[in-house]
Amino acid sequence: MAPDTLTVTQKNDPLAEAGHRKDPTAGLGPGNEAEDPLVRVRGLSRRFGSRTVLDSIDVDIGAGEFVALLGRSGSGKSTLLRALAGLDQDIEGQVHVPAKRAVAFQDSRLLPWQKVLPNVALGLRGDRPVERATAALDEVGLADREKSWPKELSGGEQQRVSLARALVREPELLLADEPFGALDALTKVKMHGLLRELLAKHRPSVLLVTHDIDEALLLADRILVLDEGRISTDVRIPAPHPRSIAEPELSTLRTALLQGLGVDPAI
Amino acid sequence: MSTTTLRHTDTVLLAPGQHSVSSDTAPVREPAKPWHQWFSLRRISLGIVGLLVIWVLGSATGLIDPQVLPAPWVAITTGTALIENGRLTSNLLTSVQRAGIGLGLGIVIAVVLALLSGLSRLGESLIDGPMNIKRAVPTLAFIPLAIVWLGIGEGMKVTLIVFSVMVPIYINTHAALRGLDSRYQELALSLSLTKGEFITRVALPGALPGFFTGLRLAVTSAWTSLVVVEQINATSGIGFLMNQARLYGQIDIIVVGLVVYAILGVGSDQFVRIAERRALTWRQTLSQ
Repeated sequence: MAPDTLTVTQKNDPLAEAGHRKDPTAGLGPGNEAEDPLVRVRGLSRRFGSRTVLDSIDVDIGAGEFVALLGRSGSGKSTLLRALAGLDQDIEGQVHVPAKRAVAFQDSRLLPWQKVLPNVALGLRGDRPVERATAALDEVGLADREKSWPKELSGGEQQRVSLARALVREPELLLADEPFGALDALTKVKMHGLLRELLAKHRPSVLLVTHDIDEALLLADRILVLDEGRISTDVRIPAPHPRSIAEPELSTLRTALLQGLGVDPAI
Repeated sequence: MSTTTLRHTDTVLLAPGQHSVSSDTAPVREPAKPWHQWFSLRRISLGIVGLLVIWVLGSATGLIDPQVLPAPWVAITTGTALIENGRLTSNLLTSVQRAGIGLGLGIVIAVVLALLSGLSRLGESLIDGPMNIKRAVPTLAFIPLAIVWLGIGEGMKVTLIVFSVMVPIYINTHAALRGLDSRYQELALSLSLTKGEFITRVALPGALPGFFTGLRLAVTSAWTSLVVVEQINATSGIGFLMNQARLYGQIDIIVVGLVVYAILGVGSDQFVRIAERRALTWRQTLSQ
């Protein structure tokens, strides 16, 4: 059922469309997205007072697809993610998301009064929650920290616990709101590797909100750019993993994306 | 290379007992202190020692009239005698029982009310107003009404203690619940926590610091109320013992009673502090 993520759209000139508003369902490989997408958003709008942050957005995300959402700060990236997470009740439009979804927040948002293991197992349903939480901690390489307080962990470790807490729920959709935004560059690189490893195993669909273009290029199957409340760019990245940002294809894309975000890449 | 040298120097400079914390590792929790260190000499106030010294010297030199304040050794002798004939012990037991029951009931009622009021709008509009009125009126002002309604028995005494205990716990727990970071409510929503899970895993532990602030105030006011209600037609309790001593002019017994109240007050406050430290281990970063 998973759409073929290698479908190439506009491989040679991926950003011919940059700056144009575009229907995300148009221009996709025929036949693929006709199947029910895992996430289906139609006409999603969100206003804060007189300010329109999201302006009738249409987005589909296929099963197992990794979508990165870029945009300038204040462009409504997190608003869109919160809408998909069901954390925002004041939205207009249709949002179809799977019930099994998990959120990884920018701050790891661990309960400071619970040790690491109960944080991972928090609200976990089903069989043997403690064993599953232990296994999830092991996956992120923190099996030996289960009895620590969150405060005793470094920022990167806290984010790993947060990832374990999200993935132990076996979500069909992982919503990640700049989860690596507060981490230093070295930790970030390690986290990218870990995330790809975990995703290869669990295969959820992912919506990763980020302001880091390189992060999006390295990780995602598809990049969306949010600008003035609309999806201004929707581009697929067919390059196989692991990727290097130095690949000419990616660096061309990077330049185009920067332009699309209103930044002169020459600087 | 340079980092290695730096680390080395760091370690050498540390005094014995100090912890070395390098910047790239997460902080390490200090080992728990043995219980007796909570009462270590450093913690005993110089002021208290000074007062005791003045009392001893004043009595020994005759500067303090024994009719005004008996000498400490007289108080000790009297205290020992009262323990030996059982009067102190049985009255102390009654007092502690009254304060304990009042405190226990007060805690339960206050926490339930704070939860209702802190987690629901309807609850808040029903409960918060009356509690703030109660806060504005001193508990002891309710004594006449309490006597008319409940008589002069144990019920009245315990009720008044419950009343005085409820307010500080309610106010502080409620404030802590209201101030709970909304990010945790969002987390609870995203993890689909049930109401019960939210209360036991998020709301109550998050409000615990406020609860303990309230509890420490409540313990003090429990003893204060106890002293007052035990002067009203009581036939037992430390207050009764002191009141009777007043009738017969036995100042030494009054002094013993005061000392007992002081020990109870300070002791219970220490007890709450230790419980607080235990319960809020996760929070111990700045206080140590």
